[in-house]
Amino acid sequence: MSYLIEARNLSKSFGQKSVLQDLTFSLSAAEPVALIGPNGAGKTTLFSLLCGYLPASSGELTVLGHKPGSSALFGRVSALPQDAMLDPNFSLLTQLSFFGQLQGMSKAAAVAESRRVLALVDLAASAELKATALSHGMRKRVAIAQALMGSPELVMLDEPTAGLDPVNALQVRQLIAQLSDQASFIISSHNIFELERLCGTVLYLEHGKLVQQSQVHSAAAQGYLTLTLDAGVHTDVLPVLRQLPGVLAVSDSQKHEYVLQFDAELAPDFDLTVLMALREHGWRYRQLTKGQTLEQQLFAVTAKQA
Amino acid sequence: MSGTFPLLLRQTWLYSRFELHRLCMTPRGWFALAAFTTIWYFLLRYPIYQASVQLQQPEIQQMLSGMLGMVGMYNLLNWSLPELSVYWAMTVFFMPLAVLFAAADQTCSDRSRGTLRFLTLRSSRDSIFFGRFIGQILVQALLIGLSLSATLALAAWRVGELPWSALNAALLIWLNLLIVLMPFTALMALCSALVRSSRLAISLAIVSIGVVAGLLGYLVWHFPDLRGVLEYLPGAQLPMLLGAQGWDTLKHCGLPLLQTAVLLLIGRIVMQEKAL
Repeated sequence: MSYLIEARNLSKSFGQKSVLQDLTFSLSAAEPVALIGPNGAGKTTLFSLLCGYLPASSGELTVLGHKPGSSALFGRVSALPQDAMLDPNFSLLTQLSFFGQLQGMSKAAAVAESRRVLALVDLAASAELKATALSHGMRKRVAIAQALMGSPELVMLDEPTAGLDPVNALQVRQLIAQLSDQASFIISSHNIFELERLCGTVLYLEHGKLVQQSQVHSAAAQGYLTLTLDAGVHTDVLPVLRQLPGVLAVSDSQKHEYVLQFDAELAPDFDLTVLMALREHGWRYRQLTKGQTLEQQLFAVTAKQA
Repeated sequence: MSGTFPLLLRQTWLYSRFELHRLCMTPRGWFALAAFTTIWYFLLRYPIYQASVQLQQPEIQQMLSGMLGMVGMYNLLNWSLPELSVYWAMTVFFMPLAVLFAAADQTCSDRSRGTLRFLTLRSSRDSIFFGRFIGQILVQALLIGLSLSATLALAAWRVGELPWSALNAALLIWLNLLIVLMPFTALMALCSALVRSSRLAISLAIVSIGVVAGLLGYLVWHFPDLRGVLEYLPGAQLPMLLGAQGWDTLKHCGLPLLQTAVLLLIGRIVMQEKAL
């Protein structure tokens, strides 16, 4: 089976400092993949290895069956690298057109493609501006635009919405969701709620190690409900929820948020049971979600492992 | 694999052409051209014009012939126009120094800014490295051509018409200068691949030339038999080149071309291995 990405015993060290340790994983083309981890976990280093910016210290890594940086990947893999900027001496259109020509397009096709991707990130009117004339958010959007040029099979985005205002962040999320049928995305972000909405698979890195690779809505998450109640004093919620038929455990993960674990075979309509209980007690709810949130899914496991 | 080599050539050419675009189509390039024009206006107006007028006088010609003959550079005065003699003598020493500054930023700013990360997803590091180097050579070819044309125009204004031998001599000077500048451009390609700013690249180039010359000088001081190694330094062929005339000047192109090849080879390895 050919994988989108395959890593075997992948390690990267800078001098004595080991940044990635013995990563082994494989990813197939499917829903977008989330790369999650605390600061210093090695996410950007893994990105750099995948893009061919850095050589691995040991182990094997292939992207679409080729070594990262290989000429076979030109135009097939694209990325939004963290903190990379365009040349301040040229307009956006000149540079993106040049990128298009490097990808094999004719000059006219490269100009047209540049205008298309700039329009995707709402920057069509800024095509003749230079990178220095753009705000931080606009530069980020241009960097996303360049990653969408041509027909990449794999798009890697490092913190795509960091520094963007909410409207533009939403636009970028919608763009990724819209394009995820045409290309595979790997997204690194600290915004776990954003990743939960966009991604199907999660790679969780911590201290340079792969702590878990899981599905956002995996079977392990079944048998859980996450209930968020309206603000108010609900002192007796926990005892009531614990009395519901089929319930195995209830925890209050955050203020007004409860995670209910239940026996799905014994209580197949457990969500209805919960709603009826809420109605009976006159408690208003804000959200009822099947499964655990990605945050609970990830950190409950890592807390257990710790 | 069959398509890799044409792709490398195509992308290398795109990078080379983009350097010309950078010179002709950006404000930074226009400032460089304006500075170049100003410098050459003063060089042509004063040293080159005045010296060529003086060189017309038989007594000065006789005196210089004697002096240059003693250091083996008699042929310096034998170019078909005195303007070309002065141009050749000035540029062959001045331009390598200018190239250390002008060709310093081949890849370092793009590395420090992260622009190379966008480029390496679309093209090989080889095409970036060699494309930028060839682009610099094209820029130099253009600028040397412009300054030589201005020198010929000055001579034509003085003598009324240009002999064909002057055009032949100008072509030879143009070719020789390009070859003289190649190892210095390659040295800057290497330094630019090593560091993250053009200032550092210039400092590194100057220090490395100084250190290598100093070490070789020390070596020759203690082991005089090794004197020949000094002839392998960049620019070591210049005194011999000034003593040659006509197509004979091209006899001295082997060393700079070899130096260029070695420096580019080392630069390529650095470029391949360097983290982006």
